[in-house]
Amino acid sequence: MEERELFAQYRKSKDRELRNRIVEQYLYIASMIAKKFVGRGVEYDDLFQIASLALIKGVDRFDETKGIKFATFITPTIAGEIKNYFRDRSRLIHLPRRISELRQSVKRTADEFLSANGRNPTAAEIAKIIGVPEEDVVSAMECSVVSLDRPADEDGMSYYDLIPAPDSFDELEQRDAVGRALACLDEEERELVSFRFGQELSQTETAKRMGVSQMYISRMERKILEKLRGTLRKSVAD
Amino acid sequence: MMLFSMEFPLGREIMTTVRLTAGGLGSLAGLDIDASEDLKVCVTESLLLLLHSGCSRAKVTFEQADGMCVTLLGEGGDGFAEKTVEEEISAALLGALVEGLTMEHGEGSSRISFVFKGL
Repeated sequence: MEERELFAQYRKSKDRELRNRIVEQYLYIASMIAKKFVGRGVEYDDLFQIASLALIKGVDRFDETKGIKFATFITPTIAGEIKNYFRDRSRLIHLPRRISELRQSVKRTADEFLSANGRNPTAAEIAKIIGVPEEDVVSAMECSVVSLDRPADEDGMSYYDLIPAPDSFDELEQRDAVGRALACLDEEERELVSFRFGQELSQTETAKRMGVSQMYISRMERKILEKLRGTLRKSVAD
Repeated sequence: MMLFSMEFPLGREIMTTVRLTAGGLGSLAGLDIDASEDLKVCVTESLLLLLHSGCSRAKVTFEQADGMCVTLLGEGGDGFAEKTVEEEISAALLGALVEGLTMEHGEGSSRISFVFKGL
């Protein structure tokens, strides 16, 4: 049966069996297009499934009286569905699922809290609502995925440039540079570095020991890291 | 503004080389990974169209302007008049991924051009 005739018959009858026959007849288009998008971290089978679903939906929407071929009509639909899938699902770098879910939960809770109370919640308040440790909320708020090629500073150095190569001489030199950089910190800042990076305490635990809030530690930590980064960069340049 | 062109005998064995070049140029032009991959697909589909129309040589020019302007010129061939399903799909896919798609056939040559914006 001719394509035009086949679709005209289906439009008239809406017969499920006929629709299935049409889908089977054009399934090769889904396969061809799926193959064009392989090699991006998603299996062919998954792409074929997405393409097939788009094909099924497309059969119902195709109007043979418009004068275009079904292949021409369905190709952009299938490509669009596949691209949407890539956009939504197939990131090359994944945050751990637990962190990713927690991040969404933290964001949703913070939004709800803001609209209910007219102010942003603290990490402790979010932690209480969600029922997770405050430390986890802070981690979830601070984590993100960045490209190693992304500029890490205004000088155009990428994160990749800043990753040290494993070399023992470099290590010694860096230890020396870090030692000198730490000397630029005041006593409270050094105490924080010692708790957080020496004893590897959590931000909450560090806050308790220092008698301040966890948010204060979080802010201070960021400030210290910026300060250290600046000093280290300067010593590398020298 | 980047301008890059290459000319080669058109055959399936050259596709990978051209795809890799297209991906690299896309990356240089600041496209993200997905967009660079899409650019590769567009260049491949265009070359397949030229190949199916009987072209034996191709010249591809990439020009970075408002997006990546790509022009593919095929020597020989008999144009895009009679399309197989494969060609229908290639053309429709191109139409879905690029802007300003034109496909022309003159005396002894075929030309495809488009602007890829990576949307």
